[in-house]
Amino acid sequence: MAQAPASERRLPRFLTYHGIPLWRNIVVIQWAAQIVSAVVVVALVAWFFTNIGNAIQERDIPYGFSFLSREYQTPIGEHFIPYESSDTFLYALGVAFTNTLIVSVAGVVLATLLGIFIGVARLSNNWLVAKLATAYIEFFRNVPLLVQLLFWFFIFLTLPPVREGYVIGGLFYINNGGLSMPWALPTNIGLGLAWVAFAIVGLIAGMLVDKRLTQRETLTGKPAYPFISGLAAVAAVWLIGWILLTIIGGESPFSLSVPEPQGRFGRIEGGFTARAGLLILLLGLVIYTSAFIGEIVRAGIQSVGRGQTEAARALGLSPMDTLRRVIFPQALRVIIPPLISQCLNLTKNSSLGGAVGYTDLTNVAVTMTQTAPAVSIFMLIMAGYLAMSLAWSLVGNIYNRAIQFGGRSRL
Amino acid sequence: MTANAPPAPDHMPPPRTEVGVIGWMSKNLFSSKFNVVLTLVSGAGIALALVYGLVWVFRDAEWGVIAQLGGRFIIGQYNTDLACPGNNCFWRPQASLMLVVALLGMVWGMTRDDVARNVALVVGIAAAAFAFLPYGFDKMGIDVRLLLLANLPALAIGYAAARYTPLGTGMRVSIAGVVIFVLTLLLLRGFSWMPGLQPVSVIYWGGLMINLILAVAGITLSLPIGIALALGRRSRLPVVKILCVGFIEIFRGVPLITLLFMSQVLIPLVFPENFPLNSLARAGIIITLFSAAYMAENIRGGLQALHPGQAEAARALGLAGWQTILFISLPQAIRNVIPAIVGQFIGLFKDTSLVYIIAMLDIVETGRTFILGNPEFLANAREMFVFLAVVFWIFTYGMSYISGRIEDKMGVGRR
Repeated sequence: MAQAPASERRLPRFLTYHGIPLWRNIVVIQWAAQIVSAVVVVALVAWFFTNIGNAIQERDIPYGFSFLSREYQTPIGEHFIPYESSDTFLYALGVAFTNTLIVSVAGVVLATLLGIFIGVARLSNNWLVAKLATAYIEFFRNVPLLVQLLFWFFIFLTLPPVREGYVIGGLFYINNGGLSMPWALPTNIGLGLAWVAFAIVGLIAGMLVDKRLTQRETLTGKPAYPFISGLAAVAAVWLIGWILLTIIGGESPFSLSVPEPQGRFGRIEGGFTARAGLLILLLGLVIYTSAFIGEIVRAGIQSVGRGQTEAARALGLSPMDTLRRVIFPQALRVIIPPLISQCLNLTKNSSLGGAVGYTDLTNVAVTMTQTAPAVSIFMLIMAGYLAMSLAWSLVGNIYNRAIQFGGRSRL
Repeated sequence: MTANAPPAPDHMPPPRTEVGVIGWMSKNLFSSKFNVVLTLVSGAGIALALVYGLVWVFRDAEWGVIAQLGGRFIIGQYNTDLACPGNNCFWRPQASLMLVVALLGMVWGMTRDDVARNVALVVGIAAAAFAFLPYGFDKMGIDVRLLLLANLPALAIGYAAARYTPLGTGMRVSIAGVVIFVLTLLLLRGFSWMPGLQPVSVIYWGGLMINLILAVAGITLSLPIGIALALGRRSRLPVVKILCVGFIEIFRGVPLITLLFMSQVLIPLVFPENFPLNSLARAGIIITLFSAAYMAENIRGGLQALHPGQAEAARALGLAGWQTILFISLPQAIRNVIPAIVGQFIGLFKDTSLVYIIAMLDIVETGRTFILGNPEFLANAREMFVFLAVVFWIFTYGMSYISGRIEDKMGVGRR
């Protein structure tokens, strides 16, 4: 039997743990590492906040959250929910949050659609189209978003003013103030909401019809025209709802509001006016993000084996059906995780709105720091952005799980 | 092949519609009715865009606005009366550039690799070519031009030093890189006690110089920090893991410009009033940490994709835990995610344009403030931002070119 080395035999008991010296015992080392790192971080955070606390006292800087119930007293350029300068800071932050939320959701939807188009175009067997999509991706992906946004910003700035702006067919007005277009306005809130309910029911009915007829087509082999029938079902429900509500309510649920110049300065009334800031930010975000999404979609489609396309074509599916029913459902599993992170990026990039005159969350917060405690405001907007990030991850993960299992059972 | 098989017919040339230009076109442009339409529509679009674009670039655009700013794009207000009374500081950024070019020459001399050669030659020759800008000698003196031309000898000296002296090992060139980076910053900053090197406050630094300094510092520091965070996130120790996850998620969840602005407001509160942390250093720290959080996720992806058998085999062969990570897991993981890492580097370089929020005049902000301050150039904003887009594109495209070549050499995706 080999004896333990002399040095260890002479160790006092309190320097060992289960007979192993403390500095060589993995359990002890790991605990020590954790305790040390925790202590260091706690000390750093404590130091951080003590210093801030001291600075606040010494330099008489305002602190706390009591400012939230004060009046903000500053206009917010773009707002989608009613806002007055006499509203509170808390409400103003809510307005800014909805601004960021709306531009992010609209941006994500448009960028995804454009990105799918670009990604598919990049794999087109048409040489010209493929090269065009590649050039689009390589250019817009490699130029900072800020440069792109400022480019659009100054283009808009040099457009003619409202009175001399461009008019397309008497319906669309483009000028340095923004873009005005015809818009459907509910004549009566109750009727409007009721028809929106009909619209949702119609969409669900259409999807069910499409699914059922696809199944029948698969089982019987006879054409059942699922997509067209689905569309017809949607249109039928919408139309029935419209007619029913018109009869019950005595007036149609929505009326078309057309923008029209009013008065001496040609101020445009009616319709929907997207202000320049919103348009520029949306344009920049959609173009920039769609280049990234295009690349993700290309990678996703290429990850599906060639055999899948060949088999689908051999079975007689049209190129469109091959893409829609065979390739895309499988590619989605590869596409969704990076797509979620692009949605997050778009949401965060909307913080550049301030540079082009859009009052997003960061822009409003930066303005607020002039009249309210900065530390508190930053805590609030960090919480706001983290909440949006979590929401995107949640939506993405739920969808991801749905297609991982549900996607396979169909067809 | 059996003996009584009929002799193969002489090779007939393929039908003319299958080869050559016509064959290529019928296969790639006009293979179906849908493709014919697509080709015609996109072809018409490209032709229109080309005609309008070329007419604009060569006839309508007034590029004078770019010439007006000239050196401000590169060094900002560095050599103005405010920053450097006497206007004799121009040689310091130029000497820094020469040091960088010499370093590129050293890398080329050490590796003797064609990618390193291309990069060194392109940068060196481009820098020297700036000596021939068509400015009058009153605007761009002969001394400025000579210093620019001196980049070529600097390149040669760097190459020779690495190739023919014992300086040419990886370790020594890396040390030279760090030394040159620090030397560059000291040279630009100056010392009050040294005549001829009067201090130039960081608030006057600007232009592309700032973008490059921030990008280089961010790239070199965010990779090791990101690796540490990724390892921490995969650690079995719960406290370490929670701390790393918290750091990564907070920095990834908040926009960079929010963090930058926060740093400007909070850091003066956290540190004592005279703490020597200027806006450039603050921006550098924030950009590095932000990028490190993303880097950590990329590297974690690479580590997760690695087969566990690699680490198990290494442990079975008797390597210690840290040796397994350092010599077995990390090299493979990093090699597998090189595209993602370079993508992150490119993102970092683009993000350096966001320092406008803390009132630093980088190349983009230099252009923007110039146009806003001189409304007579408002109509030329288009030229300005097209120019800026092209400048950024050259750098980012160069980075993805280098990455692509490195991937080819390392056989990423093939082995």
